[in-house]
Amino acid sequence: MRIPLRDKYAIVGTGKSRLGRVPGVSALGLLEDAMVCALDEAGLRAQDIDGMICRGPDDVYSHHQLMAQRLGINAAFSTTLDNGGASQILAIAMACMAIDAGLASAVLVGYGRDSWSRSQSPDGKKASEPNLVPSAQRPREHGPEFGYFGAVAPHALGARRHMFEYGTTREDFAAIAMAFRDHALRNPEASMRKPLTREDYFAARLIVDPFGLYDCSLVSDGAGAVVVTSAERARDLRARPVLIKGFASFNNTRGWFLDDHMVSTAAQESGERAFRMAGLGPQDVDTAQIYDCFTYMVLTQLEDYGFCRKGEGGAFVRSGALTLGGSLPTNTSGGQLSEAHVEGMLQIVEGVRQLQGVYASDRQVKDAEIVLVSGHGGNTVCHSTLILGRA
Amino acid sequence: MTGYRKPVPVPSHESKPYWEGLRQHRLLMPRCEACDHRWFPPSRHCPACRADKVAWEEVSGRGKVFSYVVFHRTYHPGFADEGPYCVALIQLAEGPRMLSNVIGLPPDEVRCDMPVKVCFEDVTETATLPKFEPA
Repeated sequence: MRIPLRDKYAIVGTGKSRLGRVPGVSALGLLEDAMVCALDEAGLRAQDIDGMICRGPDDVYSHHQLMAQRLGINAAFSTTLDNGGASQILAIAMACMAIDAGLASAVLVGYGRDSWSRSQSPDGKKASEPNLVPSAQRPREHGPEFGYFGAVAPHALGARRHMFEYGTTREDFAAIAMAFRDHALRNPEASMRKPLTREDYFAARLIVDPFGLYDCSLVSDGAGAVVVTSAERARDLRARPVLIKGFASFNNTRGWFLDDHMVSTAAQESGERAFRMAGLGPQDVDTAQIYDCFTYMVLTQLEDYGFCRKGEGGAFVRSGALTLGGSLPTNTSGGQLSEAHVEGMLQIVEGVRQLQGVYASDRQVKDAEIVLVSGHGGNTVCHSTLILGRA
Repeated sequence: MTGYRKPVPVPSHESKPYWEGLRQHRLLMPRCEACDHRWFPPSRHCPACRADKVAWEEVSGRGKVFSYVVFHRTYHPGFADEGPYCVALIQLAEGPRMLSNVIGLPPDEVRCDMPVKVCFEDVTETATLPKFEPA
């Protein structure tokens, strides 16, 4: 089989902004900070960059134009993506394809948001709901009239059905939340820096049952960015490169409510394709960075990727597999549940840095050679997978 | 029926017959006259065979709870006094799935695969909502 892009492109710089609660900086400003950091790490100047693919809040249009202006870049290939939390890996896939097509040679990819700042009302009283979805995009029928709002409910519906079909429990979800919190305690940049016990998990208020407070990812300000260029060029750059071995996206766009999509997500097809491109399988993965918008979504994606069998995700996560030192250390930064929710961009950065081996021993996955990163979103149906390898 | 504070549905061009049917306490679903496929929400072509012969046909209103959640958080002021309420994905006997509320029992007694049947709530002079109760 023809595998034209495996190991041909690399990530050569990563950057993060300040994370969590960052008042006084816009989403674009946060992304600017992350992109400057990624360029510095790569040792590249603005004129070395000729591609820009990014994304941010849905009511800010043409991010790529605004970001390129801020950074002084004339981009040959440039666009903003719209595939929810699956966009960020898709941006890296598009960067590889654009370079391969000769449309660009070095592409800056990033995502930034100011969701926490938006959740604060001007008078200092906390607003009930961050204004994340532009009003023109909000559903007007088949949902709101029944009190069906927000991103928690569709995922909670999936969780409930999974619990019904496979006997999954909130104990399983708690194991995921606690594992990632334990990782966040080792990450000075993480928003959540207090231990989370089983008692804390069950004592917390319910949001949309079966999800309580700690099943839900954080409302964060923050941004992340990476630079993609050819593996050949990467050898001459400042940072230790990480090879892009496989990527794919798959979208169950027929609908989250159709077929068995709520309990068997597009991670399955997206994962199969990415593993095929990489010439690898789940057994080869040393650490996973899974899109954890909600605890349950980690559990089902682990099943769908084949890290365990369908229906056995509960036992898998309760075995301690996800913790540092476990068989599949997952979301080693704390993830979106405990570090910050930046739509999967930070998990790409974490995957790269694990392979660069930059962390102290308490956070570093020992001898990590292969990492799997996932992206999920866009009305819960869109999925993307990225497989990275040590150069 | 004045003072209704919850969101009132805004029909689209495609869903108008659905909402008009509900006014007459009839639950209508699109059915393809070419291949007999039924689906929801409505569109101008059959998602199964692409035919544009869409008929609106009354369904039995019987089905089961495919999945359900209980809202504890208030996202809209119209639901502030509601207490925890159940939103469910209903699997209709005829095939399509639709969101609704399960009413007539405490939300923590709802179960997946529980048999339900439709009932109709006239919430304003112009809007009727399809809700479901234990069958």
